[in-house]
Formats: sequence, C-alpha cells, structure tokens
Amino acid sequence: MLGAGLILFLAALQGVTELFPVSSLGHAVVVPRLIGLNFNETSPAFVPVLALLHLGTAAALLFLYRRDWVRIIKGFVRAAIRGRIEDPDQRLAIMLVVGTIPTGIVGFFLQAPLTSLFGDPRAASVFLIVNGGILFAAEMFRRRDERRRAVGTSPVLAHEEDDPAYRGIDGLSLRTALIVGFFQAGALVPGISRSGITMAAGLVAGLRHEEAARFAFLLATPIILAAGLLEVPQLGSDAPTLGVGIAAAALAGLVAYASARFLLRYLRLGRLDPFAYYCAALGAAGLVFIH
Amino acid sequence: MRGSRPLALALLVLAVIFALAAIFYFTQKTEFLAGGTKPELHWKHAIVFTVLTVLALVAANFARPKSVRA
Repeated sequence: MLGAGLILFLAALQGVTELFPVSSLGHAVVVPRLIGLNFNETSPAFVPVLALLHLGTAAALLFLYRRDWVRIIKGFVRAAIRGRIEDPDQRLAIMLVVGTIPTGIVGFFLQAPLTSLFGDPRAASVFLIVNGGILFAAEMFRRRDERRRAVGTSPVLAHEEDDPAYRGIDGLSLRTALIVGFFQAGALVPGISRSGITMAAGLVAGLRHEEAARFAFLLATPIILAAGLLEVPQLGSDAPTLGVGIAAAALAGLVAYASARFLLRYLRLGRLDPFAYYCAALGAAGLVFIH
Repeated sequence: MRGSRPLALALLVLAVIFALAAIFYFTQKTEFLAGGTKPELHWKHAIVFTVLTVLALVAANFARPKSVRA
C-alpha cells in the first residue's frame, strides 16, 4: 500500500496536470522517477488511488460547469427522444457524445496495452516532447492564420472574444467534434495530454482559446468520471484508509478546480506556448536523467 | 436532415448486437475479448455494451426518416 504523504503528493500532481495541457499520466510516470521516488503508476497498488483521484477531478469539473451539465443532460434526453437537434443545448450534448465515443471505445479496449507499451519513463519523456510539439504547432497555425488576416482586409483584434473570425463551441460542426474526439484518444499514450490535444484540435478548428479549453474540459469530464467509476470496485484490500482516500480525492478536486479556473482566465489573453516549452523541457530532462 | 431507413435499421441491428453482448457479459463467466487468465464476470464490459446499446438506439432514432412538421 502507498504511504499517505505519497498519495497526497500524487493527488496534488494529478489535480494540476489532469487539466493543464501537460499530461497527468506522463507526469505520474516521469516525475516520481526524476525526483527519486520508487513508484510506478502502472503498479496495481496505484489503481484504487487513481480511481479516487479521477473521481475528485471529475467532481471539480462537474462543479465548475454545473449549470452547463444540467442543460447538456436535459438537451441530450430531449434530442434522444425526438431524434432531432432543435436548440444549442441539444447540439452541445450530441457533440459531446459524438466526441466522447472514440476515446471511450479505444480507451476501454486499449488503455491497458497502451499504458504497458508506452508506460516506460523514457517513452513517456519522448511523448511529453511530442505533446509540446503539438501545442506549439497549434499556436503556430493560429499565428499564421492571424498574420494572413493581418495582410488581408480582415483586422486581427486584440481580444479574441471581439474577433468574429474565431468562434465559440456553438460554431463547431458535429464532424469537427468527432475529429476532436479521435484526437482525444491519442491522450491514452502517457505523455500526450488529453486537454492539450483537444485544445490544440479546437484551436485548429477555429475556436477561441478560452472556448477550446471549455470544450476540452467538457469533453474530458465523462471520460475522467468513467475512469474513476469503473475502478471503484478495485477499492479493496489495496485501497488507502478512508480518511486518506477522501483527503486525496478532495485535494485532487480542489487543485483541479483552481487549475481550471486559472487556465480559463489565462487563456482569455494567453497562449499555449509556455505549456509547450514546459513539456519539451520536462521530456528532455526525463531523457537525460532517467536511465 | 432527411433521414435514411436502411441506416436506421443497420443501427437498430447494431443495438441488438450490443444488447446481446451486454447480456452475455452480465450473465456468463468468460475470457472472451476481456483478457485475464480465468473465466469471470466482466461487468465493466457489460456496462460499456449497455451504454453502446443506448447510443446505437439514439443514433437509430436520429437516422430514421421523420415526418415534416407544419
């Protein structure tokens, strides 16, 4: 069984890295080895802890978007019964279902083989660098689009919210949601960030930064919640004590909530480049220092 | 969207297959497509196939031709 201190450290690490576009799985594989902890997320002892941390993170996301989720669930039920989309809530609900299916199916059947295949810290380090490249490429595409518009007739506005060239989630097509969903399946590889790859795909599809993050968080919620709920029965003999378990889930949830609020605020004006550089640096450190 | 009766029927057949798979995993101890070394109940597979059944039914409802409303 893992110690209480280590569990709480992992809870904080999970809370920050699950929603920041830097790969929680990659961090859980690389960081403990970098700082000298003899621990591996793929070990069976970590499964019940991971379930609790996922539940904490999912609860934070559900709380953050609680009003959206009430509308989304009502929208899904109405659309499912009527067999047609009649308003933006129903459209968002169906987009999330369509976007979740690829990751849900691929993740359920291939998560274990992918984790064991790429769960090695050096492989995760390589994929962290790849993740940095994906974030950087998405921002490069966005900058190129802005430059192209700057020399044309359409001015680039300082605030994306005022710029009609970039849209909110409502402007996405179902096909784009499905493509973003396929991209999200790439995050099953340790080192590739779920929120990062969906934000990058959202940016390429023309979403504003803040909306790309919102879509990524909404899309991630069912997957993170399912990952937690499906592992609840594993809370058996290897599970941490009730107090430590609740504290870890609460800590992961609180840190995830704060991280999401920070990221949404940051992305009103900021870009993903700092996260790209960070991932590349961490991946390089992993390759250099982990043997 | 005008809808397509063949597509709706295909999705309905898919839903039936998913439902049978869900019942199979809920009731039978097996290793089939579930890994592991000894036969056991795979309730996670059962839940996933139940969800897929519901989604296939919803998709079939979307795909079926609908009467045009006034």
